[in-house]
Amino acid sequence: MKQTHGQARLPIEDQDFVDGVIARYQERPGRLLSILEALQEHHPRKFLPIEVLDYVAAKAGIPTAQIYSVATFYALFNLQPQGENTICICRGTACHTRGSRNLLERLKLELGLRAGEEEGGADKISVTTPDGKFTLRTVACFGQCALAPVVEVNHSILGHVNEQALQREIEALEGRRK
Amino acid sequence: MPYRTNVLVCAGTGCVSGNSFGVAQTLENEIRKLGLDQEVQVIRTGCQGFCAEGPIVIVQPDGIFYCGVQQKDAVYIAQEHLLKGRPVRKLLYSPPAEKKPIPALKDIPFFAKQRLVVLRNRGAIDPERIDDYIAVDGYAALVKALTEMTPEQILGEIKKSGLRGRGGGGFPTGIKWETCRKAAVSRAVDPVVVCNADEGDPGAFMDRSIIESDPHSVVEGMIIGARAIGAKEGFVYIRHEYPIARERLKKALDQAREYGLLGENIFGTMMNFDIEIVQGAGAFVCGESTALMASLEGKVGEPRAKYIHTVEYGYKNRPTNLNNVETWANVPLIINRGAEWFTSMGSGDVSENPWGGSSGTKVFSLVGKVKNTGLIEVPMGIPLREIVFDIGGGIPEGRSFKAVQTGGPSGGCLPESALDMPVDFDSLTEAGSMMGSGGMIVMDDQTCMVDVARYFIAFLTEESCGKCVPCREGLRSSLDALNRITQGTGKPDDIGLLREIGEVMQDCCLCALGTSAANPVLSTIQYFKDEYEAHINKGVCPAGVCTALIEYQIDPEKCDGCHACVHGCSTNAIIGNVKQVHFIDKEKCIKCGACVEACKRNGILKVPRSHAA
Repeated sequence: MKQTHGQARLPIEDQDFVDGVIARYQERPGRLLSILEALQEHHPRKFLPIEVLDYVAAKAGIPTAQIYSVATFYALFNLQPQGENTICICRGTACHTRGSRNLLERLKLELGLRAGEEEGGADKISVTTPDGKFTLRTVACFGQCALAPVVEVNHSILGHVNEQALQREIEALEGRRK
Repeated sequence: MPYRTNVLVCAGTGCVSGNSFGVAQTLENEIRKLGLDQEVQVIRTGCQGFCAEGPIVIVQPDGIFYCGVQQKDAVYIAQEHLLKGRPVRKLLYSPPAEKKPIPALKDIPFFAKQRLVVLRNRGAIDPERIDDYIAVDGYAALVKALTEMTPEQILGEIKKSGLRGRGGGGFPTGIKWETCRKAAVSRAVDPVVVCNADEGDPGAFMDRSIIESDPHSVVEGMIIGARAIGAKEGFVYIRHEYPIARERLKKALDQAREYGLLGENIFGTMMNFDIEIVQGAGAFVCGESTALMASLEGKVGEPRAKYIHTVEYGYKNRPTNLNNVETWANVPLIINRGAEWFTSMGSGDVSENPWGGSSGTKVFSLVGKVKNTGLIEVPMGIPLREIVFDIGGGIPEGRSFKAVQTGGPSGGCLPESALDMPVDFDSLTEAGSMMGSGGMIVMDDQTCMVDVARYFIAFLTEESCGKCVPCREGLRSSLDALNRITQGTGKPDDIGLLREIGEVMQDCCLCALGTSAANPVLSTIQYFKDEYEAHINKGVCPAGVCTALIEYQIDPEKCDGCHACVHGCSTNAIIGNVKQVHFIDKEKCIKCGACVEACKRNGILKVPRSHAA
């Protein structure tokens, strides 16, 4: 029952794409991870809508529950639309000792993202501004520790970042949009 | 080799982020303009290790080391050095606090004490060209292993070398291979070899660097291992955060296939073997062997109990031999140069028993509050002090050494009294830390050890898979206690509570993530208990890190009312007119410290909170 429900909600051209991806990874090890990654990469907002997960479940013969558990377990997968710009702050040990938490706090303020922080919770976050312009997230470690603190802005790595540099970066991205 | 000079441009991720590809391009353009393109060639190499000074350019055969090279500098290098033979002085490396530059790589202290074995080809060959690797004896060990040695002889050599797993556990590689081979033979099931490149420890990047600078050494090691174990299939499980490493590895596999080193009838022998890359998806626990195998099967990466060993029942219940990147990269050298050569380096005695010592070298990422950050390789058994002070150059900005953290989130923090300890598997474990995969994070007196413990526990709370109760709930309760302490509301018995939780976790957790998770807490309590007590009893953070326990003040003597701090403050917490002394509104201040950076007169002070909240 669920299957027809899922298929009905996904446009035909998307169905074709998903079918192709599933076929491509059919016999590969870890195929579910590869399938989900390819689908997320393909989506303009870099996330996995629930109807896509339903459709994959029906097509690949994997229970939706298993797909959902995988999609929520791994940090790579997003179930919410991502912002046009992604800023990723490294929270590795070297970056931490060189002040990455201040950068994170500063950026939250800058982008008006006070929400989403639970007092006393863990440090990992992934939040998007209401206007969809920015997603702010953290990563455990980029392995760029010699350049600490490190921030990744739209997939390019910036090393030895300070608050001023980060602010300039944000202003440049905002300016580009205006 | 028709070229008189090779210009080696570092193309590791660190230098690439500093635009080393642009530098290489400019160099090539200039060389062509100067008509030197028949004499001088530009080679894009893997990581040189001295990432703090990137982008790095080395001119061979003179061994001249340039650092911090920008595109405009590349023009100078071409015109002055390559054409006229005069090294460009302003781009040479000068040690911190010294004015005289050191032109030659071999004389720079950072490199002088290192012993490059696994990283022997770093920065010397183009990692994207298999011919470069073959030119430096690459794949010679494979020829030997396939044509002159039986699988038993390979196993014997690896066992004799005393090689222990470089991923953290330190399990003897030879014994692992032998167990896997036996399981495969007795069950008549095809075994699998896996390379663990899911380097998740924060503060560590050894494996990324090895793959980026010399991917074929890992591939060659895996083929030799497959021959010894009898595997036809191999996987490399690599983090998605490492795009350059993945690309290089993919190219290396394609080239190896093209040269007949992978696939069917390798070197015309009966051996068939191929390697596939599988990408991780951002889960720290997947570095654990059973979780990694679950992830390889496309499942959630939850570990399982290991009374059934993965070498017997691993990936899809087949005998599975998992080794870390650095372990695999050691294999060709041991086959090529022999076990005796390998055991000549290191500490302890492995001649009777591989558990008796630590042979060979170890790669470390030396980062944090140390002058020379980067990737280093040293013989096992070197004193910790030599790593931090000779290679690392000591602590920057005139601060003093407080601790060094080894072993990632599963490791511990070692104080100054441990500096003369030899760095090997067993000494580190004895001191309450561990070797881990090789992250080494140096901390100075401005680092709060309670905050560091909280940081690791917060990380592990997030990364715990949640399957077993001691890990899931133990971490959560530890984090609560550490949050209390760092916020100034710790209770006197919190230290006892943290110890008790830690001991239960060591005994009861399902996998190594849980059993070692309390190490950062227990080791900081062991060595830095006074800091915990200062937080709890006095409400003071001695290092001035925990924001709830500090506040900022403007020194009225120094403030000239320049307003720079007002512009730097994002919460409008600084009040004062131009040319008058300013004040900080404590209600609005979020203690981000931006004003300290903005003030040009060092007029903003960080002081202990004036009253208990």
